[in-house]
Amino acid sequence: MQMNRRFFLHKGSLAVAGTTAIPSFLVRSVMAEAAGKPGQRLVVVFQRGAADGLNIVVPYREKNYYAMRPSIAIPQEQVLDLDGFFGLHPSLGAFKPLYEQGQMAIVHAAGSPDATRSHFDAQDYMESGTPGVKSTQDGWLNRALQAEDAHRRCAQTCEQQTAFRALALGSEVPLTLSGKIPAIALSNVNGFTVAGRGAAPSPAASAFETMYADSGDRIFRAAGDETFDAVKMLRAANPAQYTPGAGVNYPASEFGNNMKQIAQLLKANLGVEAAFTDVSGWDTHQNQGGANGQLANRLSDFSASIAAFWRDMGDEAENVTLVTMSEFGRTARENGTGGTDHGHANAMFVLGGKVKGGKVYGRWPGLDNDQLNEGRDLVLTTDFRQVLGEVVSQTLGAQNLETVFPEARLAPNRFLKLI
Amino acid sequence: MESLRRPLAAILCLLLCSPASLGYTQQVPSPTEPAAAHKKARPAYSSKQLRGDQRILQALNRFTFGPRPGDVEAVRAEGLEKWFEAQLHPESMDETDLNARLADFPEMQWSTEDLLYRLPSNAEIRQAMTTGRVPIPTDGTLHAIYENQIYRLEAKKAEKAAGGAENGAKANDVQGKEAAGKDAGGTMQLASDGSMVRVDAQGNVVTGTGAADSANAMGADSSPTAMSTAGSMETSAGQTAGAQTAFDATAIAAVLALGPEQRVERLAAMQPEEFEGFIKSLRPVERVQLNVGLSPGLRLTVRALENPERLVAEDLIAERLTRDIYSNAQLDEVMTDFWLNHFNVYLRKNEQMPYYLVSYARDTIRPRALGKFEDLLDAVAQSPAMLAYLDNAQSVGPHSLAAERAERVAVRRPEAKKKVHEGLNENYARELMELHTLGVNGGYTQADVTEVARVLTGWGIDRPLVAGSFNFNPNRHEPGTKKVLGKKIKENGEMEGRELLHMLASSPATARFICGELAVRFVADDPPPELVDRMAKSYMSSGGDIAAVLRTLFRSPEFWSEANYRAKVKTPLEFVVSAVRASNASVRNVLPLANQLRQMGMPVYGSVPPTGYDWKASTWVSTGALVDRMNFALALAANRLPGVVATWAEVPDLAGAPADTSATPESEEARLEAVLIPGGVSETTRSAALQQFAAQTRQDAGLAQPVAARRRNRAGNATAVERQDQVLAGLLIGSPEFQRR
Repeated sequence: MQMNRRFFLHKGSLAVAGTTAIPSFLVRSVMAEAAGKPGQRLVVVFQRGAADGLNIVVPYREKNYYAMRPSIAIPQEQVLDLDGFFGLHPSLGAFKPLYEQGQMAIVHAAGSPDATRSHFDAQDYMESGTPGVKSTQDGWLNRALQAEDAHRRCAQTCEQQTAFRALALGSEVPLTLSGKIPAIALSNVNGFTVAGRGAAPSPAASAFETMYADSGDRIFRAAGDETFDAVKMLRAANPAQYTPGAGVNYPASEFGNNMKQIAQLLKANLGVEAAFTDVSGWDTHQNQGGANGQLANRLSDFSASIAAFWRDMGDEAENVTLVTMSEFGRTARENGTGGTDHGHANAMFVLGGKVKGGKVYGRWPGLDNDQLNEGRDLVLTTDFRQVLGEVVSQTLGAQNLETVFPEARLAPNRFLKLI
Repeated sequence: MESLRRPLAAILCLLLCSPASLGYTQQVPSPTEPAAAHKKARPAYSSKQLRGDQRILQALNRFTFGPRPGDVEAVRAEGLEKWFEAQLHPESMDETDLNARLADFPEMQWSTEDLLYRLPSNAEIRQAMTTGRVPIPTDGTLHAIYENQIYRLEAKKAEKAAGGAENGAKANDVQGKEAAGKDAGGTMQLASDGSMVRVDAQGNVVTGTGAADSANAMGADSSPTAMSTAGSMETSAGQTAGAQTAFDATAIAAVLALGPEQRVERLAAMQPEEFEGFIKSLRPVERVQLNVGLSPGLRLTVRALENPERLVAEDLIAERLTRDIYSNAQLDEVMTDFWLNHFNVYLRKNEQMPYYLVSYARDTIRPRALGKFEDLLDAVAQSPAMLAYLDNAQSVGPHSLAAERAERVAVRRPEAKKKVHEGLNENYARELMELHTLGVNGGYTQADVTEVARVLTGWGIDRPLVAGSFNFNPNRHEPGTKKVLGKKIKENGEMEGRELLHMLASSPATARFICGELAVRFVADDPPPELVDRMAKSYMSSGGDIAAVLRTLFRSPEFWSEANYRAKVKTPLEFVVSAVRASNASVRNVLPLANQLRQMGMPVYGSVPPTGYDWKASTWVSTGALVDRMNFALALAANRLPGVVATWAEVPDLAGAPADTSATPESEEARLEAVLIPGGVSETTRSAALQQFAAQTRQDAGLAQPVAARRRNRAGNATAVERQDQVLAGLLIGSPEFQRR
């Protein structure tokens, strides 16, 4: 598989390399061929630090919600009502139209069934897709791409498999995307070039390429191969030409920028199938605020960035699905310092052209004192793998869910049917 | 004593060194693969042991931030054992060179209280503006520092109020460049205003003209560009916000013509808007001239007049990198880095954090980096940095006097909208056990976390905005007996916490957890369990003595196993610092290095979660990472990082002979390879570098003075040989071999 991908890419890049005289439309068509037919794309957003789902999708009819959160609850009159029971945090205004137009679905009381309250274990479990199993070395999204290959029986011939197939915006490949399928991490599209940005690779870049390609160091040889493939493709595709659509304003934040660059790379037709980015700042132990304040600020950046991405994708949004998750929720009760501590179940957003949105999915377990998990947090009623399993089978075409989520025993007839 | 130690060391070495083949060659063993190591059967450590200079390199690569030219010879002469013992005694090191460099950061020696008073944070300034709880000093220069900040923050506020809607549109123009920075509004923005430009003892400008220039040099692909973008946005916004006095060339020249002291006095005497106008009117070259002849103290004043909080954060980072690069007590620095990561604190948690971190690194961590773990744990638990970072300073016992008082207030004045938060916060309690001591599988429960939080109530910070020292407040302490890990802790105020920390520090789970982390840092991503066991035993029998544990590590065959030679992939910090050390570069401005680390995903004091950074290869080997490393290597070698100068022609080869101008490409390569990668590189790397070297030579022969090369080179007058050396050195630093240690 690796061999074929590399063989193809070398062919592809040869066709493009050293052809500065070739008109750009021709180069574009070569690249378009390289990228294959426009397929379904999946974008995954991880909220690191455990976002407070109860203040994000607020169960504003729950009396106990207000009793347990005297200083941080969102007042009924301020929530953006969704269905008469749940309401969005007022800073999620950018999500409201997406929900109303039926493109955004919400799953509440969802998350990882493992009971850990450690950020780091919980993130690993969620990213590996194997709660409770520490030894898993790869991520669910990587395995979903493997399952897609298996399903399409194209492991030997899949021409859409480019260096950009699995993409992380950031300086490292997250566990979610790690595995057999090569994944690429980059934090700055414009800076992704070795030794200058000329039309052709510089001599130093060529020397590095040889050095790494023939190295006896397997780890660096593989990383070098992928690096130079990607640099060449990016040089040819020139994603910088894709500027946000008219009237699309991304927040000037790191997350806003990441979403903007994902849109750029998707539009540049580089063969991106799965993209990942994360956003931190959710660990609100102290002074998290209510309708305004710390969490509110995170949420406006979060929703404005995602909504801008959605608008920016324009017609192509039809083939895009975006899903958000966070390692666990936070305590139902506010703590002694105007914040919340580590909890359990949380809310997930699913946004997409094919999503049956405008609905809050999942069974609501209630918030009375005797309904809480360990007497302190929201009970989990939907395993996050149920949601992701449906998403990857409906979008990427990963049919063997046992590969993607081993031992989760996902059955399509138990899916929430949100796509 | 000395004479006795040497034969002893030799005997020890004889015992440890394998009796295998005497025919040691320069051949590089094929690198092992940490990521895949767990799948393979473990090698038998008794058989394949490192020998000769490879042992020296192994020690230098693991216990230092990488060898400098000449280090291998020095250790060979001193003897490995003796060198290591000396490293365990940092107090005996000669640090004349380092201390001279640290003199650039005089405020790094101040107490937290002094720092807060003389270089006020934005939070203090806001208090001074609103509540008056922070008084404004009346003394001349200090008064000006405060007034200037009040002016700056007010202008910022006015600008925010006026231009909030505009921001979104502006962001699009930036085209993703600021994404390189984790928090573009943070520390390194200063790099763009040229204030970090330094001047050498003779008053010559050594750093060029700051980030604007570095941006040109690096192309639009590097973080200095990102910083300058963010900075210029702020500058233009600032200009529109306040109506500052514009200065014409004559007025500027008049200020610049003053003697050092008078110049700074003049700046301090300016009204805030006048000062702002003056600074904004300076061209980059004038910006540099402003600092000419100023002592470190006067330079500090100029920067403080502008933005004291930024200066504290910058110097905090610059001081740490300076130590990493130049300290002779390298093991002490490596261990300081290790503990700062183990007990991670994030620089931007709040506006006081840069101030707390100065004392945290200097007074809490470094003096105990090679001491007893329990002392370190105690000191960290009482450090304002950790107390603020993991929120313990906010935690109040639910049945404490303070909570009861808050309750009474709430009952008496139910209309009071702003509820006083008086209750438990379990953030520190959890991470104390999960990350600092027992490890996540250390056998504690959620109930233990809550009990530990109760034990530690009252541990807080005395007047966070102005004093910033530890304080135990009995009024906030939860009364009653607590039960942690099945053990009762009787009500005893602050001493309960002491008892708890002692219990945690002396737990076998902690010994294993700490030793496992050390083994990952020093030996392999997947360290042999036998080694960790041996270290943990040493920890327990020595009462958690870190030096004793490191000695055990040093004497373990696993450390000297060929399988673990070059087995570790350098983290970005290790890569950047080792590259600077290997190239023997003179660093007058550390901030471009800090910018590189941020670009590579490892900003100094920049880990948001309490885990700190990972030491394993899988985190740091990726496509984007390699691009950054190669570009950094080329930029460093070609002196394109402002304030960082490497002189390749002057680097002597191992025989001590100066560079030969009639050198052949092969001899140049051999000379630079010996200096930069004393363990040697593969034939592939060597020939790829030489091929490029030849191409460069042909290019230079064809053009009398290649325009591109001249423009790219800061010095502007690099000879053809120097340019070739630069390319060669850049390729070697960017090679696969240099990515490992």
